[in-house]
Amino acid sequence: MIPVEYYVVLSAVLFTLGGVGFLIRRNVIATLMSIEIMLNAVNVAFVAFNRSRTESHTGQVFGFFLIAAEAAEVAVGLAIVLSLFRVRRTVRSDEADLLKN
Amino acid sequence: MKAFFSLFPANDFSLLAVVLLLPLLGAFVNGVFGRRLGKPAVRLMTLAVTGAAFAAAIATFVALQDAVAATKTVEMVKDHAGVAHEVIKHGHAKLAWTAWEWMRASGLRDAKLPIDVSDPSIPIELKFSVDALSGVMMLVVTGVGFLIHVYSTSYMAKDSAYWRFFAYLNLFVFSMLVLILADNLPVLFIGWEGVGLCSYLLIGFWYDKSPNASAGKKAFIANRIGDFGLLVGMFLLVYYTGALDWTGIAKGAQSLVSPSGAAQVHLWPIGGGQFQDVAFGALRIPLAWLQPNRAITITGATAVALALFLGATGKSAQLPLYVWLPDAMAGPTPVSALIHAATMVTAGVYLICRLSFVFVLSPPVMMLIAFTGALTALYAAVLALVQNDIKKVLAYSTVSQLGFMFLGVGVGAFTAGFFHVFTHAFFKACLFLGAGSVIHAMHARVHDDDHAQDMRNMGGLRKFMPLTFGAFAASTLAIIGFPLTSGFFSKDEILARVLVQQPVNPYTEILTKRNVDVWAPPGWMAWLLWGMGVLAATLTAFYMCRALFLTFFGEFRGWTIGRPSHVLPVDDHGHVPHGDHDHDHDDVSVPGAPPAESPRPITIPLIILGTAAIVAGLLNPGMLKLFSEQFDFLPIDHWLEPVFEEATHGVKLVDAHTMHSREWLSTGAAFAAFSVGSYVAYWMYIAQKGKLEAAYLSRATTLAAGFSGILFVAIGGVLLGLAGKDAFTLRMAIPWALVAGGAYVAYACAKERALGLDFVYERSVFPGVDALADTAASFDQGFVDFVIARLTALVVAALGTILRVVQNGVVHVYAAMMVLGLAGLGWFFVQPHAQLTTSDSGSGDYVVTAGPGPGYQFRWSPDASAAPQTPSFTSVDSIKIHLEEGATKTLKVEVRNAFSSALEVPVVRWLLPPVAVKEVTVTRATVDKPAKFELGER
Repeated sequence: MIPVEYYVVLSAVLFTLGGVGFLIRRNVIATLMSIEIMLNAVNVAFVAFNRSRTESHTGQVFGFFLIAAEAAEVAVGLAIVLSLFRVRRTVRSDEADLLKN
Repeated sequence: MKAFFSLFPANDFSLLAVVLLLPLLGAFVNGVFGRRLGKPAVRLMTLAVTGAAFAAAIATFVALQDAVAATKTVEMVKDHAGVAHEVIKHGHAKLAWTAWEWMRASGLRDAKLPIDVSDPSIPIELKFSVDALSGVMMLVVTGVGFLIHVYSTSYMAKDSAYWRFFAYLNLFVFSMLVLILADNLPVLFIGWEGVGLCSYLLIGFWYDKSPNASAGKKAFIANRIGDFGLLVGMFLLVYYTGALDWTGIAKGAQSLVSPSGAAQVHLWPIGGGQFQDVAFGALRIPLAWLQPNRAITITGATAVALALFLGATGKSAQLPLYVWLPDAMAGPTPVSALIHAATMVTAGVYLICRLSFVFVLSPPVMMLIAFTGALTALYAAVLALVQNDIKKVLAYSTVSQLGFMFLGVGVGAFTAGFFHVFTHAFFKACLFLGAGSVIHAMHARVHDDDHAQDMRNMGGLRKFMPLTFGAFAASTLAIIGFPLTSGFFSKDEILARVLVQQPVNPYTEILTKRNVDVWAPPGWMAWLLWGMGVLAATLTAFYMCRALFLTFFGEFRGWTIGRPSHVLPVDDHGHVPHGDHDHDHDDVSVPGAPPAESPRPITIPLIILGTAAIVAGLLNPGMLKLFSEQFDFLPIDHWLEPVFEEATHGVKLVDAHTMHSREWLSTGAAFAAFSVGSYVAYWMYIAQKGKLEAAYLSRATTLAAGFSGILFVAIGGVLLGLAGKDAFTLRMAIPWALVAGGAYVAYACAKERALGLDFVYERSVFPGVDALADTAASFDQGFVDFVIARLTALVVAALGTILRVVQNGVVHVYAAMMVLGLAGLGWFFVQPHAQLTTSDSGSGDYVVTAGPGPGYQFRWSPDASAAPQTPSFTSVDSIKIHLEEGATKTLKVEVRNAFSSALEVPVVRWLLPPVAVKEVTVTRATVDKPAKFELGER
């Protein structure tokens, strides 16, 4: 059986990748995808830790909840991106600074 | 009847709720719906609720009598002739009703007192009770109140704000009932403030007239000073006795005079401190001279009694706070009768009677009360001599009579003082209502408030309004002490009591054994007080007869009102047109109807009250005891005996023989006072037909004005007298200054012909208050508005400019900041934190506990510099140590958490310390144990 540390390391790497992507990418679509990667990293950790606990499935159930939340988040996020594109003709986040000062 | 009373057990006597809530219902209905209901409905409502409340009060009183009778015990006592007599004694019965528990208070000084140790908080209940004392008051308030309501329905009939008047009046009756039926001080305070509010509302009832509105404010502010005293008294009582209800205070009252240090209030140095020279480098500020050889202290009893007495002076219009009562006459006359004569102003006397067992613990305050009372009686009587407004005469007379009541309770004659409250309620209410009837009649002719009340415009009204005259004359006879009237039996009883008894500390014997100084009033004080009282009684007889003769005897002077007849042309009917500048010109040509007797709702209460004024004294004709030792028809005396039983320990009587002769002397003097005063008035106003009036007024006004200064001289003189041979020490500088200042005030007031203390206050207190207000205003403008408001705005604006740079609208920057913040939180939570709390058991055992956290483990070192207790970390989160008095110890704890093993990496270690260390120093103070002594049971 693959030890749990491997999953945790994978989860940490994925989370870092997502976080870095979230911080440095300017394309809003890419930013959303980075968020997805971070959430999935958390999902991996949830499921991995749940393996060591045979008496309950809390981690897996939470995984499902997270997937549902992700779906909602993407739906809202893409809608925001679309309306942003309509207003500013761009999907670059640094050009959408309507709330400046 | 028995079945009816079985509905109301003594500890849940809900009939009291009926008595209380009916007037409140009336106030609510009249106040909220009165305008739409119309005058007849308002009249019906107000009479129904006050009448029903009176009926319920009578029922309560009957039940109370049964309860008192149930506590009867009969003893056989042999008198000095050896004849056995039956002596019937009653216990202190009361009927109580608790609405709900209002709150719980804390702040008790000594946990030993009679309260539950497991729960040291003091319950304060919304509880009402009626006993012998409050029962009588309840009957007076509802009974006289009902009569005055009947009177008002006619007196106020033409007023457009009829409903508002009766809403206030009903609210007043409710508040007054709360005040007297309260079973503890906070509930009494509700009533106390409630009657103050109603008094304010009713004085300023015609609020569109500026003097009336300011008179209302003056009353409210003067009362506020007194209320401050009452509040302080309450706090002190909680602190010393641990209770605020009457039973609890009585139980804990002993601790007010306990001679241990704790029951002493340090006046100087304040709070028992120490004055030492202060040095700032070379600069030395000498303060040590402020330290007295012996700290000036008073007992807790004195402090409590002083504070409560301040409250009583405010409400009962005693010196120096009497100034509001004469001005309060701006209100409608029935209000003056009910609130400012019969009931509310006697609340101070009631408070002192109610807490008599506290007041007797402090003979100095008792003497202060008596002295204040005597001085007020005399001072107000002097001022009443020169009043021309009939209501002002009665107002000053009320102040003066209240002074008599205070004189009575001050020497420990609580029954006599309270009996005077009782009789005064009848005759003064009757006098005011009679004056109201006169003003009503005069107003029909004059249409001017000031002229209608001026006695110089009256005269001969006896023929026009015989019923009013009869009642007024009966009450005048009562107040001047005509033999066998009520005033004779109450006021002159007070004077007799002043001579035969004096307050004495009930614990004198125990305290003297322990070498504690106990103050006892010197013998000359009694004679001084008595002399002032007799003089005041003489003046009372004079000014009341003057008012009676000016109003009802001689010729009616109203035909020539205001202006001398030779200046104004006489019209066809032989009448002089009247009026002044702001008068309607129509009125000048219309002379108005001649005065006539008032309608029946006005005369019937007058007749009832006038009759009561004559006969009420027979309820306690103590004077008759002079003629027969066997005479024992003293219902009020016996009725109130259980209430004042506790207080009788604080009264020392002179021996029986001296007592008898002094009582004769006093009765003789009181009779002489009545005869002299009334004869002089008769001579001036009947025999001489008032020819001397103008000269009299001019000279007497100057004298009465100068009397304000004599007040200060008298106070200073008495203080010097009390000091005896110490009168020439530095400490006595204040009395000397009073004497000197008083002489100057006398001169200044007499020169200005300024009556009363108003002038003195205008020159002394007002400039101070104005200066304080100016300082506060300039502070507000210069500091608060400028520094605080503008500077704050500037700082906020500057900060905003800086923070706006960060708010650049780029989502990534926001995200980066969020990440930084989360990293900071992570950094904080990953490392262990040591937080120590020390708990002190009081016996030298201390427990030091470390705060919990995820996976925390601890290593304790009982001595910070030495090695730890155990080599490894354990989950034990507390340590127990013992210290001797004055010892000090420093302990250390090291804390690791769940992450600590992962943090043991070179660089990380430096960023995130895996072990937290904390030291704490515990010191046990050295305690001085004062030598405590306890007072034994009496």
